[in-house]
Amino acid sequence: MSSAAGKSAGDTRRRAMARRAVAVTAVLLAAVVAAGGCSSTGRRSASPAQRAVSLPLVTSVAAGRTTWAVVPMGAAAGPNLFWELFALPAHGSKWRLATPPDVATNGAIALSIQGSQSLVAGIHPSLMLHFSPITSTADGGRSWATGAPDPGLASVPDALAITPDATRLMALDRNGGADVATIQRAPGGHGITGPARWTTLVSARALAATAAGRGCRLTTLTAAAFASSGTPLLGGSCGRPGVAGIFALAGGRWRAAGPELSSLPATLRQRKVQVLRLVRTGSRLTALLQVGSGAGASLVSAWANEASGVGSTTVASEMNGGAWSLSPPLRLAGLTMTSSSFGRSGATAVTLARPGSAGQHGQYVSGTGSLWHELPALPPGRTLALALPAGGDVDALAADGSILTAWQLRRGTRWVKTQTSKVPIQYGSSS
Amino acid sequence: MPGMSSGLNINDPIVVAAFRSALLHQGIAALLIFAVLVVAWVAIREWRPPGAREVRAARNARATAAMTAEPGWRQVLRIGFGLLWLFDGILQAQPAMAVGLPSQVIEPSATSSPDWVQHLVNWAGTAWSYHPVEAAAATVWIQVGIGLWLLFAARGPLSRAAGVVSFGWGLIVWVFGESFGEVLAPGLSWLTGAPGGVAFYCVAGGLIALPARYWRSSLLARFLAGGTGVFLAGMAVLQAWPGRGFWQGTFRGQPGSLTSMIQDMASTSQPRALASLVTSFGSFVRAHGFAVNLLAVIALAVLGLALLAAALPGTGQAAQRQEAAEPASAGQAATWQAVTRQASTKQAGTGQAVAGQAGSGQPARAPDSAEERGRSGASRLRLVLLQAATGALVALCLVVWVLVQDFGFFGGLGTDPNSMVPMALLAVAAYMAMADALQPAEPQVPARAQAAARVAGSSAPAAAAAVTRVAVTGSATAAGLAADSTAATVTGSAGAASAPAATATGPAAAPAVTATGPAAASAPAVTATGPAAAAAYPGAAASSAAGPADQAATVSPAADTDTDADTNRTDNANNTGGTGPASPSGPAQPGRSWRSRIGPAALAHSFGIAGIRTVLSASAVGVIILGVIPMAAAQASPSAAPILAEAIDGSSAPLHSAAPPFALTDQNGRHVSLAGLRGKVILLTFLDPVCVTDCPLEAQEFRQAGMLLGADARKVELVAVNLNPLYSSTAYTNAFDRQERLANVPNWLFLTGSPAQLRPIWKNYGVASEALPAGSMLGHSDAAFVIGPAGQLREELNFDPGPGTAATQSSFATELATAARTALGSS
Repeated sequence: MSSAAGKSAGDTRRRAMARRAVAVTAVLLAAVVAAGGCSSTGRRSASPAQRAVSLPLVTSVAAGRTTWAVVPMGAAAGPNLFWELFALPAHGSKWRLATPPDVATNGAIALSIQGSQSLVAGIHPSLMLHFSPITSTADGGRSWATGAPDPGLASVPDALAITPDATRLMALDRNGGADVATIQRAPGGHGITGPARWTTLVSARALAATAAGRGCRLTTLTAAAFASSGTPLLGGSCGRPGVAGIFALAGGRWRAAGPELSSLPATLRQRKVQVLRLVRTGSRLTALLQVGSGAGASLVSAWANEASGVGSTTVASEMNGGAWSLSPPLRLAGLTMTSSSFGRSGATAVTLARPGSAGQHGQYVSGTGSLWHELPALPPGRTLALALPAGGDVDALAADGSILTAWQLRRGTRWVKTQTSKVPIQYGSSS
Repeated sequence: MPGMSSGLNINDPIVVAAFRSALLHQGIAALLIFAVLVVAWVAIREWRPPGAREVRAARNARATAAMTAEPGWRQVLRIGFGLLWLFDGILQAQPAMAVGLPSQVIEPSATSSPDWVQHLVNWAGTAWSYHPVEAAAATVWIQVGIGLWLLFAARGPLSRAAGVVSFGWGLIVWVFGESFGEVLAPGLSWLTGAPGGVAFYCVAGGLIALPARYWRSSLLARFLAGGTGVFLAGMAVLQAWPGRGFWQGTFRGQPGSLTSMIQDMASTSQPRALASLVTSFGSFVRAHGFAVNLLAVIALAVLGLALLAAALPGTGQAAQRQEAAEPASAGQAATWQAVTRQASTKQAGTGQAVAGQAGSGQPARAPDSAEERGRSGASRLRLVLLQAATGALVALCLVVWVLVQDFGFFGGLGTDPNSMVPMALLAVAAYMAMADALQPAEPQVPARAQAAARVAGSSAPAAAAAVTRVAVTGSATAAGLAADSTAATVTGSAGAASAPAATATGPAAAPAVTATGPAAASAPAVTATGPAAAAAYPGAAASSAAGPADQAATVSPAADTDTDADTNRTDNANNTGGTGPASPSGPAQPGRSWRSRIGPAALAHSFGIAGIRTVLSASAVGVIILGVIPMAAAQASPSAAPILAEAIDGSSAPLHSAAPPFALTDQNGRHVSLAGLRGKVILLTFLDPVCVTDCPLEAQEFRQAGMLLGADARKVELVAVNLNPLYSSTAYTNAFDRQERLANVPNWLFLTGSPAQLRPIWKNYGVASEALPAGSMLGHSDAAFVIGPAGQLREELNFDPGPGTAATQSSFATELATAARTALGSS
């Protein structure tokens, strides 16, 4: 009897131990698998509040007598990547290096053009420089003067704007707001000088709280420009589908000034819109919009019909809705925009690439009433920027390491190499 | 020139020389520790009063009797990991370790891990970088010390303490040095070292630290084998997990995860033949990635399941029996099991089944039922399975160690031989533990015998019964009572019944001892169970008589000649609560306070009667302390060692001339001149306000120097002069100050002026600047000057900030603060 009881107790104990062993085994196995699985697949996504707006910074703008282009050269990334500014004079055939001196351009250059040869450049923060030096030239990049440093430009190509009369600057900062600074002509006419500090014009949050901002459900500011009248214009991303978030400060109030999208296909009218560019070239204000996202996204170019000398309130009113002309949508079909370029009359060209692929495509629209045209297969190069200088030409700047190669589109069918330059990049100077 | 700095070379001759010097000095100190302790030990032993030697012998006998024999698996772990720690310590002495370990080993290991891991690891890397020489030397001595400690301390509390320290240091290395073995990073794989080699050191340390009562636990054996099985099975699942890059030799033209690892390893500096071998295997994996991974998955899964199956409960018959007849305490059970197992081991060696017959009058026990025979067969089968799995696992470990992990310690910054060697050691230990658990059935210990054993020492007949049972299980048990080395030599010899000890244990014991024979030759040990010993060895006899029976039973056939001082103390402490008087010459007399027991005389006495292993273990502890103390002292300082600044920029140059004057505008628009600063020491440098690399670092070094100066900062001005002719407005010096948090530093001045004002100052101070094309920042030399209160130049420091780490910044700040203090002191 006692033996049986003992055996039973032993069996019970063994079963309990077996259960424990199985449980411990299962837990350990699960922990190992979970650790490995999580570690292999875990991706941390940034919360919306942490999401920084970043748009392709490769660009060219033709204004006045000069066409300007900004392209990255040197290394593909890191402290040996330098952004270079090139200038092509009207009727000239050679692009000239015009990068501002005495400051590192590891963090791109934001341009704002004023006049025929005047340009204001803002240096994007990079490495250990957290604010943005502002510099300007009035002679096509031969000599430079400095303005007041900005607290730190946002990583968008249109982070800097100057009024046509060169009295005020506006900048988008990294905190999502817009700042303004009153500027002066530098002695001798070489560029600008500025006040000691910038003042906040409006924050993205404050703009989103206005009636115009609520109507668009503004999430972020992406572009700044001035109307020809000097009216500050801001572009952004809207959370409300079918609304293009362009705002004008008129009469002391921010008003919606974006184009109506009713001419777009119905499917696109239900998509969210992001203002990629807001560029004034001469008297023409051009906006480049992305409608939708992902594989179904399209690009739309919009041109404002500005009238010189019109009061600011009127401008805002006129620009709203029907004051804009829209291009037909360009379906991206999974491609992403890698550069955007603007000609004098509002002509727009973009380069597109499939993520992870080296090949690029070029698309071009000449202005109101025109269709997008696909350009012939683009020349090779790690980075490509199209340029639309005077005369209806289309240039392609191909940058690869220290070598810049310029190509020109002849008869709309083939690219002809017009220039090869070795840019004296100082590798290691920023590391 | 800014931006052109080469950083701190991991083989920087200044740091390497300092590291070697530290190792040399500390090495001499370590040898002295060993020498002094050994000489002191010998001296105390030789100069002891008459009779003390006998007391020692008795104590040794008693202490040995009190200790359970170290099982084979523990020996494997202790000696194996002792050697590994020793080897790791030697690897840590490589010249590049001082500078290279944080930046090339520690921090890169965390790059794929979550932010909090990176933060933790970078903190540790920074702490190391602040005092690289002290940290590297400390690591060498800690690891060498742990290794020696494990090797010297075979048993007793000192040995367990070695396990604890090994576990603790292993944990530190695993967390901070291996970023938790990168288990939180993608790409975890057993082949590439998961879960980190040092994790196995921790496991081994923990096992070595276990109390003796667990050494023979069948549960522990199953845990070891089963744990290894679960681990391997889990690793097989991970290895098979899709989307982790292990199934492809190449992926989109890029090497797969395993290929990449092998290629990386092959590229390290190593013997050409080995590099060629590993490269070839890398090419093979690149071409046949799927097959290699499939093989790895199958091997891991099969081995894991085999070990798991062998470890399932109920497989160890001895364990079952033990469980069925579970004694009153686990400790006693383990002790008894130890005795029986030792006996059976000896039986196997000598074929002395007759011992059992002699002892009990019964034939040697054999499986007496079909069920038992079945169990025995199953056990043998599982033992074979376990043996095969362990053998295969060890072979796999060796193959992976060579072909995938490339030995792990080449390249100048290898810190250990990676994970496969410790993994193999653990596998062998698991096998040995399980093999013990799967031994053929042992005779059951009757409850009365256990009870008798528990009270042995207080009752001679009961002790006799206990000893009789011991004898039943094999001749070696009694031999194991011998504490002296002679035990081994006499084992197996018979006819020692005439030994005095036999008679001393009482009539009941005599037959047993007579039967087992060899034990009797070791008279002192045997006398420990009987009153007769008291005549010759009063202390031992008295305490033995009072000792519990399980002490008497837990004797070792392979008894070490050495004992631990700690053990002796413990015994003494135990015995004071017993019934017998302690040795009159010993320190552990009843009623003596703990103060008297740790007094110099008592310690000297304990030291004198300790074994050589104890002395060597204590020396190993001394080596660890030798490494820890300088590091702890260095870490107490908030600033980094100035050797980093010296390594980057060399020594400063003394100057003895009047400082060139300047008169400029500060960041607030105020006029400032050198003459106006007279009476204060000036730390002067030249900065570009739109610089993207060096100047912000230099400004921070100035700021930190001001903080290090403390109250002296009131007598020091931190002055920078603008070096950029274009960005020369106060808007830029102000922006720079805001960026560098210098705006509120009271003694900070960032002076600027027009290019016409600035250029003569640059020239007078010999500072060059150069406009560089194509988006480069202004090129300029890095220099700092110390100007005395009277306006004379005292010193020029090269001021290239190097890599700009927190450690180098702090080092430069220390250098600046020291220079300022020197100028203040000599003014």
